[in-house]
Amino acid sequence: MRIDRLARGIGKGVAVAALLVWSLVPIAFVVTSSFKPGRDIFAVPARYLFAPTLEHYGALWSRWGVFFEGLANSALVTAGAMVVAVVSSTCAGYVYSRHKSRVLGASLLFLIVVRLIPPIVITLPLFPIVNALGINDTHLVLIVLYATFFVSLGTVLMRTFIDQIPRELDEAAAIDGAGRIGILWGVIAPLALPGILAVAVFVVVFAWNEFLFAFVFTGTATKTAPLVVSEMLGSIDGVDWGILFAASTVQLVPVLAFVIVMNRHLVAGLTAGATKG
Amino acid sequence: MTDTTPRGLTRRRFVASTLGSAAALSAVPAWAQAKTLNILSHAVHERVLGKDDGDLLRDWKAANGVELVFTTFDSNPLQDRLFREASLPVTDFAVGYIIDNRPTSAIAALFEPLGPLNAVAPIEDFADIAPGLIQGLTVDGNLIGIPVRHATGGLFYNEALLEEAGIAAPPTTLEELIEQAKKLTFTAKDGTPVTGMIMASDLAVFPVSFARAFGGDYITKDFKLLPKPEAMVKALAALNDMFTAGALPRSYATTKNDDQVTWMQQGRAAFTMITFARYAQFNNPEQSRFPGRIKAVQFPKSATYDGPMAAVTEAWGMVIPRNAADKDLAWAYIREVASRRVTLGMARNGNGPVRVSTYAEPAFAAASPVAGEEAKALATARGAFPPFPEAARAQQLFLEDVQLAVLGHKSPEAAVESMVSRITPLRPA
Repeated sequence: MRIDRLARGIGKGVAVAALLVWSLVPIAFVVTSSFKPGRDIFAVPARYLFAPTLEHYGALWSRWGVFFEGLANSALVTAGAMVVAVVSSTCAGYVYSRHKSRVLGASLLFLIVVRLIPPIVITLPLFPIVNALGINDTHLVLIVLYATFFVSLGTVLMRTFIDQIPRELDEAAAIDGAGRIGILWGVIAPLALPGILAVAVFVVVFAWNEFLFAFVFTGTATKTAPLVVSEMLGSIDGVDWGILFAASTVQLVPVLAFVIVMNRHLVAGLTAGATKG
Repeated sequence: MTDTTPRGLTRRRFVASTLGSAAALSAVPAWAQAKTLNILSHAVHERVLGKDDGDLLRDWKAANGVELVFTTFDSNPLQDRLFREASLPVTDFAVGYIIDNRPTSAIAALFEPLGPLNAVAPIEDFADIAPGLIQGLTVDGNLIGIPVRHATGGLFYNEALLEEAGIAAPPTTLEELIEQAKKLTFTAKDGTPVTGMIMASDLAVFPVSFARAFGGDYITKDFKLLPKPEAMVKALAALNDMFTAGALPRSYATTKNDDQVTWMQQGRAAFTMITFARYAQFNNPEQSRFPGRIKAVQFPKSATYDGPMAAVTEAWGMVIPRNAADKDLAWAYIREVASRRVTLGMARNGNGPVRVSTYAEPAFAAASPVAGEEAKALATARGAFPPFPEAARAQQLFLEDVQLAVLGHKSPEAAVESMVSRITPLRPA
């Protein structure tokens, strides 16, 4: 019995270790390489002990200033998309939770179906439209697109959350004179906060790293960080791996910090409704 | 008593703030300058023009009151964006940079024919621009682009490893190259396992160069597939021989362009074939274990072939989308960039010069130790294959058969037969 338990424990440990190695080694390689002298990055045999240097970060600052402009654009677009997606998803989730009709049921299914369409399918036809509207290369177009792309998933998630909040609370607030928006803002939103944060994390991670929409709809003014990183991988004059890894590390830090801070809420958000009958 | 005063977010406030934010964000492009020339290019095209005191266009910009705004992407995304912009009713981009193996007839129709513009306001000493590069940007009789940069392939070798293996000079024939590559598949004194030669398996340029070394080709300018099939058979047999002997990496099937650079910089490979423009990167002391020891010569032809060796080259040209607004300004920019002075300046900044005369300039020769070899290679160089609508798919099929032959899963003869049967239907009628 004890041996069984021990074997199971070891098995679990090995599985977890394998999972960690699988997911963390590439990230660790990128981060440590960003501090290695250039000629040691791909040395054979690999050099695990090295004198750390910030030369790549210095070169990133001096030679790729556009990367930091890209980070600022990414931050602005990500924040905007998050706000729009969270507000829209919460409002829509509330409606889907509190009102039932055939039309709403069908539209909810439609939301899920829309989410299954590959982004490229809608991206290219949108290009001439966005151009005709004159909003190409603006933050607005990316904010709207990123938010739109996540509103469907966010709505479904928020509906699940709001379903768990007793309707009696709405009714009590209504008796006190609160309108729909007042109920949503003052009663539902605070109780559905874990769900709101979960949606926020999804949108932030997506918008921060997104490439395709940014590539198609931006130019000089609103180029985001992933586009600049892709240019560093350019095939014409070779890749400076040290700078590329430094940029990847810098780009990783904010989103990683955000996800770590939100991690607890994210898990709660993802498991919401799991036991709902 | 219940307080019914509206608090926090109301429907009206929400709508008003959303519209306000949208208006503020969409107003950003209006800040652009009055006389702006928008250019769609790769970052390297902007970089070689220099900046601040080294800005090669500073005087021209001041004289014309022009602000240049470059929007840059990597090569393939750039071509994709350029063609999409040129397909719109109107585009903000007046100048684009195009790769010479992309313009099919349909794509070329998106761009302004430049012959008439050149007749009215000619480019300085137009005949000095390499004719092969001009030809690559001439589609259906129309010159649609002015060459601005070329990347021509050469054979790079690690001089230190050659010395260590007792080899006095780089190869002068393909047979010597194969022999030396086999000899250089060894463990170096410092313990590094060395592979004779490394080449990417996902680009046609390598098997095409081997075929040309035997007088053959993949697809000619007039779309003739495998004009000399026996040359391709010999090329594939030579590559298979190298792979079998271990003179190509075991990981050949997954080797990429960037692997060629890192392997050479680390002394893991003795030879590679890549554009001469990579010389600086190979010898960069911050990245390479062999700064100053990685040199280049023309890719050698077989001792059995008497004709000229045609290196593979790829050129970039400047184009004007037909739907661009200010074509006169665009042409003025192109004329200036194509001038002898700017061509030389860009060459000193690492650009492959498109003018023959630039190679004779002492200032350029001093800046580029491989300039002489590059000039010789450029004289007979041509693209890996001409543009046609199914070129990408044809290249994929071609590379499938090449890989199977190199890895020994198919005989060279069977691979060539397969190429003919699968690629022939894809060629233009």
